[in-house]
Formats: sequence, C-alpha cells, structure tokens
Amino acid sequence: MAPAFLILLAVLAYPILYTVEISFSELDLATFLPSEWVGWDNYETVLTDERFWHSLKVTGIYLAFAMPLQMVLGFAIAFLVNAEWRGRGLIRALFLIPMVVAPVVAGGLWRMMLDPLWGITNYLLGLLGVGPLDWFGDATLAMATIVLIDTWRWTPFVTLIATAGLLSLPQDVFEAAEIDGANWWVMLRHITLPLLVPIIAAAFVVRWLGAVKMFDIVLASTLGGPGRATNVINLFIYQEAFRGLKFAESAAMSVVVLIITMVLTAIFLRASRQLEARY
Amino acid sequence: MSHLTPVTRRTALAAAAALSVPAAARAAVAPTDGGGLGTAEAPIALRMNANDAFAKMWQTVLIPEFNKKFPHIHVTIDGLPYSEHLTKTLLDLTGATPAYDLICNDDPWTPQIAQTGALLDLKKDCAAWTDADFDWNDFYAAPLAASEWKGVQYGVPLRSNMLLMFYNRTHYKKAGLPEPTPQLTWAEYMAQAPKLVQDVKGEGKVNAWAVSTYFARDQLTPTIWQAILNANGGRLLDKDGKAAFNTPVGVATLQTFVDLLKYAPPGAKSHVFNEELTAFRQGQLATMFMWGSVFRGTAIDPASTTLKPDEVGVQVMPVGSASAGTHRGIWSGEISRKTKYPRAAWTLLQWMSSKDGERFASANVGSFPARRSTLASKPEFPWLAPVFATLAQSYEVAQKGEMWRPRLAKSDAVQQVLADEVARATSGEISPADALKNAAGRIDKLRL
Repeated sequence: MAPAFLILLAVLAYPILYTVEISFSELDLATFLPSEWVGWDNYETVLTDERFWHSLKVTGIYLAFAMPLQMVLGFAIAFLVNAEWRGRGLIRALFLIPMVVAPVVAGGLWRMMLDPLWGITNYLLGLLGVGPLDWFGDATLAMATIVLIDTWRWTPFVTLIATAGLLSLPQDVFEAAEIDGANWWVMLRHITLPLLVPIIAAAFVVRWLGAVKMFDIVLASTLGGPGRATNVINLFIYQEAFRGLKFAESAAMSVVVLIITMVLTAIFLRASRQLEARY
Repeated sequence: MSHLTPVTRRTALAAAAALSVPAAARAAVAPTDGGGLGTAEAPIALRMNANDAFAKMWQTVLIPEFNKKFPHIHVTIDGLPYSEHLTKTLLDLTGATPAYDLICNDDPWTPQIAQTGALLDLKKDCAAWTDADFDWNDFYAAPLAASEWKGVQYGVPLRSNMLLMFYNRTHYKKAGLPEPTPQLTWAEYMAQAPKLVQDVKGEGKVNAWAVSTYFARDQLTPTIWQAILNANGGRLLDKDGKAAFNTPVGVATLQTFVDLLKYAPPGAKSHVFNEELTAFRQGQLATMFMWGSVFRGTAIDPASTTLKPDEVGVQVMPVGSASAGTHRGIWSGEISRKTKYPRAAWTLLQWMSSKDGERFASANVGSFPARRSTLASKPEFPWLAPVFATLAQSYEVAQKGEMWRPRLAKSDAVQQVLADEVARATSGEISPADALKNAAGRIDKLRL
C-alpha cells in the first residue's frame, strides 16, 4: 500500500494541493513560488469576472450539444456494427482512427477541409447550391464546428463501449422474446435499452469526464473565436495563466472548475446508480 | 496535515532556497575565462532555443557556417512552438540548472525574462570577450532596442522582422489602379480596396480579394491595428502604463481595421499567419500585411509560391496622419546568466549578428539584417535590394513612432487583453468603441 499511496500522492495530490495553495496566494513570476497569502481575493476576482462565467456558459453549450449527439450516434452505430454483415470487423477497426489522431492534427485537418477558400466541404456543398459557409468565422457555426470535430473524434469511443455492452447481453432473453412474437422495436424498447442502462450510464460518465476537458481542438481550430464564441473554460484558464500571466487567479478558476466537475460527476454517478436499480 | 501557516511555509521555502543557493551557484558560476572557446579534445557544447519556424534552418545551415570559424563550439538549437516559447524559456532559466545556454527571444519578452535576473548584461558582463570590431552603433536603434530594458542591453538582433505591406502588381494592373508607393495613405488604400475585389482569372465570379491579414483571436492580430493606430499618432500606453488608446483616433483606426474585412476573402475572420500567407501566395489577394521575412517564400521560391518575383512588391504599411505604419518583431539572442560558457555563447551571438553573419543569414536562411552597414551594402541577390530598402525605412518609421508592443514585464498580458477585445470587434460581437473601452478598463487593472 505504501508505494501506491506515495505514487498517488506525488502524481495526483501534490499538483492539486499546489494549485490550491497558489489559488490563495500571489505568485512571484521571478521564482514561480507563492509569495504572499491573499486569502479569498483570487476567488472573489474570478467569481465577479463576467468572462469566467461566459466561458463556463460556452462550455455548457458545447457539452449540451456534444454529449447527447455522441451518445446517440455512438450507440446507433454500435447497433449497426453489431448486426451480422460482411466487413464489419474492418469497419470497427476503421472507427478507431479518429480517436488516435492527435488533436492538433485533427484540428488542422478540419480547418483545411472546412476552409471557405480551399476546403472540400464548401466545394461539395457548392455543388448542391449551399453556401459558402464560414465555418470558423460565424459564431454559431464555429460552435457547431467544434461539436462536429469533437463528435468525429469521440463517437467511436462510445461505439466501442456500446459494442462491448451489446455483445455481453444475454441472447436467451431475445430468443424468448422473438418466440413470443416481439418485433425489433419492442425488443429495443423493453429489452435492449433497459439492459444497456448501466453501460449507457458508464459511457456517459466516462465521456463526460473527457468532454469537460475540451481544450486542444479549440486551440487548434478557432483559438476561442470568433470573438469569444468558442472560448471554452479550459482555453480561457490557459490564456489567463500563460498569456495574461495571472497564474494565481487561474489556479482559483481551476479549483472552481474542479469542484463543479466533481459535483456534477457525483450527480451523474448517483443518477446512474438509480437507473441501474430501476432497471 | 501540515501545521505550517502560510507565512512559516514561505519561510521554510525561503530557507530551503537559501540552503540550495551555494550548490546551485557553484554549478552555475562560470570560469573566469568565460569557459573558453573549446578545443578539438574538449569541445564546448551550447544549447539554444529558437522558434520552430526557423530553428531547423539555423541548425542545418547557419551553425555549420559558424563552425567553419569556430569548429570547437558545438551548438544544438531546439525548436519551440511560439505558443509555448515564453513559458518554457521562463521556467527553464529560473530553474537551478537551466538546459539553455542561450535563448532566442521574441520582441516583447525581454523585460519579462530580464526581471528574473536570468540574463547576462552583454555590454558589461561580456565586455572582455567582445571583438574590437563589433560595432554596437552600426545597429539600427529600433531592432537593437528590442532586447534592451531599463538601460541594460541583454541581447542582439538575430532575425529582424517588420510588419510590411506586400502587394500583387498583377492585381493592381488588372483593377486599373496605380502601383502602391510608400506614400500611399490609408484613405487612398481603403478607397481602392473595393476595386481589388475582382475576377482575375476570367471565371465570371470574384476570385481575388483586396486584403487579408491577422483577423482571428490571436495575440498578433492587434499588431495590425496598432500599426494603423501608430501611423495616425495614437499610442497604446501613456508614460504611467495606463491605456492611452481609448480615444477617437483609437476607435477610428480600429474601425478601419474591422472595415478591412469587407474586402477580405470568405473565412478571413479566422485568418492568422498561414491562411493569409497561403491566399496571397496562391494569387487570391492583392495585398497582405505580413512579416517581411516571408518575402523569399512568397516571391522567389517556386516551391512555396505561385507568384513570380516581379509580381510581388513590398513596402511599409500605408501612411496615416502622422507617418507610414509598421510594427516591430525582432527575435533577439540572449545569454543565460547560469551558462558555464558565456564566452562561447557570446562568440556565437557576435558572429550571428555580425555583418558577415547577417549577410549569410539574409541570403541563405531568410533572416533579415539589423545593421546599417549590411542594409546599405549591395545584397547577394538582386531580389533582396527592395527588401533591404524597405527594412531600412521601416526601422526608421518604427523608431520614430515607437511602433512596438509594450516594453513591460506584463507585455503579453496587455497583448492578450487586446487580442480578446479586438477579436470581439472583428467578429461583430461588439463595436470598436466598446472593445477599446473594455480593453482600456482591463489593462488599467493589470497594474503595469
């Protein structure tokens, strides 16, 4: 136990405790050490900063669209992939590619494809008489683009979990239902989905913990713009710390975000346990 | 749980730091001869950082040339992405045993690093190893001042960049407009811009636009507006470090910057360096406001441009009510105070910033000179002649109008505020007047 405890302390507890310490201090940029204890000042500054709340709102909008989309698509694709058809093994393998592409590469790739001057997307849409669309320059479209890129990257992850869940379902229940004359919709509604609830809940929580860290795709594609339309909280904290040199306030923001994330995660976990118990 | 109060914890930290100083100092103090210049048996290894856009070129082209003269100084140059460059440099140099003997610093960063005490004073600490023919007065004042802070010279210019106006002669001719001259005013430029949105390929639709530049939410985007502001006599900060741009001139010039988007290609709101450069090189722009160092890849090198050398013109940015416009962007070489080989490090910097080094670099690696004698001499290639002339003029213009980012330890913080608010104006989220009002309020809270 002792070595494990020490490793956990070093890699998990120390950075968090150091961040908490900085959040109550003023940081000396010459030494990168906390220089003066300032109490709750940094938290007061952060909580009265309209830009902090705006970034949280932007993050909320992104999560509100990306999470349901990725969950629905992920499970829908899993159902399709789970059906018996030739080549499904290859498709499963291909699905993993977006997950292993580096976020910066993914952001750059999508920037090229969606570029209004040279991108293939607008060219194809133009053939249908649509556009040209300014994917990164229009505030609404820019957020949609971030959701699109993130969905492209992470839906395969949900599909992977969902496929594993589907394969583990007891086949005898479905056979019995088929004998009783149940059609696919009835089986989906009354057997598959209830049995999948624990898997759906687990996939949601795992994906939530990944999505709430959104940073790299935005940095590589929109830089938080246009204006501040895609300025998610992690990018905001990064820019305030490493550009604005407000390390102490940024540490306070990180602590606030950590607390919000922990509370929401606890709620999701509790809800998932209740759903499991219900079904 | 610790029973230390914050104050006692700080005291403990300070004590620990004090205890560690002798050991760190022993490791860091250089020999009295500066570590020498190395021998065949005992060569010296120097490590330097530089922006990843040119680090590899320096390593493979510039350093071998340096080694012809100083074969026993082995130099490794690490390329760093721009977004991480300052932070990594700062963290490295303030550590007990920095990895870097030398650093390559962008224009606004010297004050921030110098305030930590991590840099050598080149005129004082390196005086004993300075070549007799190293002429400090030969540098133009503007590029040399980029690495000066509070009267101390911490660096020398290694890659001198200025924001300039590039133009496509074919587009001007096609639009029936006279070729731009350094006397072109902003009013004339904006009046001509609609005609430069045109069909240059005979496709029956618009396929070329008047301009693109940095428009996205990026720290360099405000530099374009700053160039217009400075050209019209405006200033970013007053002598007390308070915002001085929230004025009618500030608002009018930011409006001019926002209005450029009317004549820019689709998607320009998200353009930064790469997008505007690619569009210009592909013949889709009549003008771009861009760093001078891209000239070779834009006008000369067929591997990176579709344009012919005689198609591309370069000059200072248009004239406002006070002067022409430009913006300084100098990469300077500086030496870590903790290097064991300050003499070898200074020898490298002296060579790179010497007339020989500058001439070699401008002809072979696209780094432009900062010395009067180099810019006044006949360049190695004819295409460099107009570039040299424009650079010389831009140095004078920049010096006169103080066209650079704030010389403060919190320079990046100021630029980030401007990047945020200028981006809100270019996106149409708020008006230029509101953007400047917000920016001024936030900058004044930075306690500069």
